[in-house]
Amino acid sequence: MTASSARQINLVGGIITLLTLIIAILWAFPIYWGIVSSLKPENEVVRPYIELWPETLTFEHYIFALTETQIGRWYINSIATAVGATILTISTSMLVGYALSQLRFPLRRPLYWLILASFMVPTQTLIINHFVLVANMGLLNTWAGIILPQLINPVVIIVYKQFFDQVPRDFREAAVMDNAGEFRILFKVYMPMNWGVTTALAIVTFIWSWNSFLWPFLAVTKTEMMTITVGITQVSDAFGVYYASQLAAAVLAGLPVALAYLLFQRRVTQAITLSAGIKG
Amino acid sequence: MAEIILDKVSKSFGSVRVINEVSLTIQSGEFVVFLGPSGSGKSTLLRMIAGLETIDDGRLLIGGKESQTLPPGQRNVAMVFQNYALYPHMTVRDNMAFGLRNIKMAAPEVERRVQDAARMLEMDALLDRRPSELSGGQRQRVAIGRAIVKEPAAFLFDEPLSNLDAALRVRTRVELAELHQRMNSTMIYVTHDQTEAMTMSDRIVILNDCRIEQIGTPMEVYTRPASRFVAGFIGSPSMNFLKGSYKDGAMTLLDGSRIAARVAVPEADTYELGIRPEAVKVCEGEGEGDTKGQVKVVEHLGERTLVHVHLSDGSAIVAQDGGRSPVQPGDEVALRFDISELHLFDASGKAWHAE
Amino acid sequence: MLRNTRRETLVALVLISPFLAIYGLTFVYPTVAMVNLSFTDAPLIGPGQWVGLDNYTRLAGERRFDTAFWNTAYFVALSVIPGTFVAMVIALGVSRLTGRMQALVLALFFLPYILPVSVVYRLWDWTLNFQFGIAMYVFDIWGIERVPIFKTTTWFMPAVAFVTIWWTCGFSILLFLAGLRAIPAEIYEAASLDNTGRWTMFRRITWPLLWPVTALVTTIQLILQLKIFDQVYLFSTGGRPNDNLVLVYYIFQRAFVNNQGGRAAAIAVVLFLIVVIVSVLNFQLMRLAERRK
Repeated sequence: MTASSARQINLVGGIITLLTLIIAILWAFPIYWGIVSSLKPENEVVRPYIELWPETLTFEHYIFALTETQIGRWYINSIATAVGATILTISTSMLVGYALSQLRFPLRRPLYWLILASFMVPTQTLIINHFVLVANMGLLNTWAGIILPQLINPVVIIVYKQFFDQVPRDFREAAVMDNAGEFRILFKVYMPMNWGVTTALAIVTFIWSWNSFLWPFLAVTKTEMMTITVGITQVSDAFGVYYASQLAAAVLAGLPVALAYLLFQRRVTQAITLSAGIKG
Repeated sequence: MAEIILDKVSKSFGSVRVINEVSLTIQSGEFVVFLGPSGSGKSTLLRMIAGLETIDDGRLLIGGKESQTLPPGQRNVAMVFQNYALYPHMTVRDNMAFGLRNIKMAAPEVERRVQDAARMLEMDALLDRRPSELSGGQRQRVAIGRAIVKEPAAFLFDEPLSNLDAALRVRTRVELAELHQRMNSTMIYVTHDQTEAMTMSDRIVILNDCRIEQIGTPMEVYTRPASRFVAGFIGSPSMNFLKGSYKDGAMTLLDGSRIAARVAVPEADTYELGIRPEAVKVCEGEGEGDTKGQVKVVEHLGERTLVHVHLSDGSAIVAQDGGRSPVQPGDEVALRFDISELHLFDASGKAWHAE
Repeated sequence: MLRNTRRETLVALVLISPFLAIYGLTFVYPTVAMVNLSFTDAPLIGPGQWVGLDNYTRLAGERRFDTAFWNTAYFVALSVIPGTFVAMVIALGVSRLTGRMQALVLALFFLPYILPVSVVYRLWDWTLNFQFGIAMYVFDIWGIERVPIFKTTTWFMPAVAFVTIWWTCGFSILLFLAGLRAIPAEIYEAASLDNTGRWTMFRRITWPLLWPVTALVTTIQLILQLKIFDQVYLFSTGGRPNDNLVLVYYIFQRAFVNNQGGRAAAIAVVLFLIVVIVSVLNFQLMRLAERRK
């Protein structure tokens, strides 16, 4: 390879890198633009030209959203249901994953097939009967009703099963030699060994639950019981056509999950990659 | 400390026999090594004693107590695993205490035992570390410490040195032998490495093909192997085997040479003569030796030299010469056999030794 | 390994019982009930008469079902392949970066995936706003005539597909990056010693080695996008929902707007079967590919 052709290749590489950076900035721009717009006074928002930074920085839309609307209430609903769904999903899935991986019992195979089958079934098609079920149980407009159908999350079970499968058999045998019973083996040996996986799965389960739209949208009819993702789009009277206020509410709705991602970036990507490896 | 008796124990995985009617008595305080190639059943046998594998048939007595149906924790034995199986989320102290806490031992007693074991293994300073912060050799010690604190009737080791590098392996070998002398407890040790077996054990149990080939002290199995398998398996470089027929107190090899052999065996055509390389000498003068051949390869090992020779019928033999051997590849050399170190093996593998 | 079978079974039952209760209630029972419901003329809540296959035969000639079916197919076509392609290109670009730079750029691409759909809706509704959207200023600058994008039927599906790609691409990028990292550096080094050019390197090495990930991403996207509802519903508010119907939207309309549980269930069963068939086909193809390796 001659020096000039090497330089040429470096030039091409540089251009590709530069393009990637430009696209990345453009990609995230709508998020930036939404945030910036929410910080402008309403009259500035609708000016007929592009202003990349507010002339007058204001938090009035946030104060409005937090004081004049039910957003605080929705926050509580979202937190309660997302945390509840996460705890229930993680704890039940961990136990099932452990049983599937480490214990031999009758119906183990059928159970495994049931879980694999539930991968294929689109929960969106079950909305009618979920609604009938939750209505009959008197759980419409309750946290429990919002949580219940969200507990179908076979991915978490399979990730756990595969994680437990990878633990060398020696650990189990050492624990058996150490006189540990089945529950002690699970809670003292296997569970503490996978806090990393558990954290990762818990964070994404929380994000998935926080972001779920269709079911909370159906299960709740009273505005005070809505989750925040549903509330900000369904109660438009509260915001009118005030774009900046709407955007401020959207920023507030997205903030917890965005923060969760930015704080636990490595864990989130780990969990997503793990779960995707299984979906295929 | 206790005697361990295996009485005709057997095991199958499905229809495959993996242990076939093995009987063995291990004395209290004895260091016994299970040695054999992979698949010989040595690990399975150890795990059957530990209780990690079921015993399908036969009896197991540990300290006089019928133990073949007891769960592993109640057999009063401790095991050191090949990969140590240290709980990664626990400190060294917790790793050692885990088994004691599981049987609800009083905390002061747990602490005393952990301290004692740590002192004995010289790892007091490591008690609050986690396994990931330890070197391979230190992990090995923690694994042993975890066994010591249980004050078991017997220690079971499953290839515990195979994950260490060569230098550390030699050192740990010596440490283990010292530990055995100090604690004077029964130890059963599984390995495929004959050096470990020869150097550490009181007795070696050689397993092959799901059964015991020979039980004996290291020197016994080396000098008087019970079968052709043992003869070939023990010793490095391994024993030379030459086909031939036995008649009138001498072996006639395929190249026509006759070797006098004082062995009380029936006359037949299908014997193999076995002789270790150190009993085959390269002769100085022409026409002196028992047989002769052409040198193919010369390996200088420093204190001795291994000379690979092809006899005229094409069979290969390794002879040992002094460290400064002048022999060159291509040389024609005469070989002399030390006939007091001859072994004969019949077609079934049974061994006879020269008197 | 020595096992106490009875005790083990007991422990297993204790461990799986909460799961069994939840799955029985929220998965097995609703699935059976849905199929059952689809053969009746029941309203959303309450009993109905057995009508056999009526609900299914009626679907055949129905204009709204037709729209929903073809819109779904259209949306899948617009989002799946282009989405996979965009993700791969971006992943190739991102993989050239290293260290903090890579983490930062990846975060920029991944952040939308983390956001709730309603936030995505607000952001793009604002960005593409007919009067004040920043995109429209860009349209003006380039001399393109402004359009009320989500109120125009021709623009609606492509725009929703575009937003969907923006929203979910981060996920696919992540998978592609993982796939790219799994290709050993030695292969590239060996290839560059063989004087391989940039394009040949991609076509003969990266692309074939990345193929399994591409197949994975495509099928995940395919199954996901068949179930589209949220975006279509949100962007249709104040627009023309009947023109923009997709299958899940139609189930929602029949069940919750028209109060026809039985007829809605029939549509649900159809979608259910489509997704299951696609999943099974995909599973079989993957197995076939595995075996050919």
